[in-house]
Amino acid sequence: MHRETITVIKVRGVLMVTMPADPDDATISALQEKTLEAMEEYEARGLILDLSRVDTLDSYFARTVTETGKMVNLMGGQTIIAGMRPAVAITATQLGLNLAFIRTALGVDQALDLMSEEHPV
Amino acid sequence: MNLLDEGSVAIVEETDIVTVRQTVREAAGQIGLGVTDVTRVVTAASELARNVFKYGNGGSMTWKLLESEFAKGIELTFQDKGPGIPDIEQALQDGFSTGGGLGMGLPGAKKLMDEMSVDSSPQIGTRVVVRKWRSI
Ligand SMILES: Nc1ncnc2c1ncn2[C@@H]1O[C@H](COP(=O)(O)OP(=O)(O)OP(=O)(O)O)[C@@H](O)[C@H]1O
Ligand SMILES: [Mg+2]
Repeated sequence: MHRETITVIKVRGVLMVTMPADPDDATISALQEKTLEAMEEYEARGLILDLSRVDTLDSYFARTVTETGKMVNLMGGQTIIAGMRPAVAITATQLGLNLAFIRTALGVDQALDLMSEEHPV
Repeated sequence: MNLLDEGSVAIVEETDIVTVRQTVREAAGQIGLGVTDVTRVVTAASELARNVFKYGNGGSMTWKLLESEFAKGIELTFQDKGPGIPDIEQALQDGFSTGGGLGMGLPGAKKLMDEMSVDSSPQIGTRVVVRKWRSI
């Protein structure tokens, strides 16, 4: 089994999830479940998905990311995707993935700033 | 056309999709493709491998590294013995899915690669061949 673990941590009232470089589908689904559970448990203001290690974002992965974002929004939180690599961003766009309605940030630092501007603690 | 190297990966379990990605990443690196092209090829492979697993009841991915006078290339063949695709043209359209997906796998793979061909019938299953070239 390749299955990798996903760690969810809370920083300044915001959940932060760092995706592994090459997660299998089961690990990607676990992302959704774990994140939504943690949102409730920690009463977080939002979610930062750190994709800086990710080297392949295919349609399955992208769909789970956008779905998770929508669910977090429904729960009253905001989702920001941080640190997508240039090659991954180019490929995702060319593949036809629409991530336009999810907020993005260059990195985790910037994502945290964005989150505090819009939802002051 | 010279064959530089080749290999194959069985696609039986869902985690084999990860093995396909890793194998293709390594192979594509061998012909000197840049990081964006490697990402394109690996992403296309991930889509096609998932289709083999999800719709084709499993199968295999065979990779070949090719060299001509002017270019080096990687060729990937995805083969399954599943039910086949009744209407290939429809399956290649953006957004068409019978499995609740985004319908982006086949058309997306075509956009990410330089060449793609699809052969399918209920008797033999489905075979998708894709290629990416780098001029030398
Ligand atoms: N190997 C295959 N065997 C049988 N049918 C296939 C195969 N590959 C694709 N198909 C059919 O073609 C359709 C389109 O495939 P495509 O990969 O474009 O989209 P999807 O898999 O449905 O969704 P996505 O890949 O975006 O998650 C599938 O829904 C399926 O009906
Ligand atoms: Mg697909």
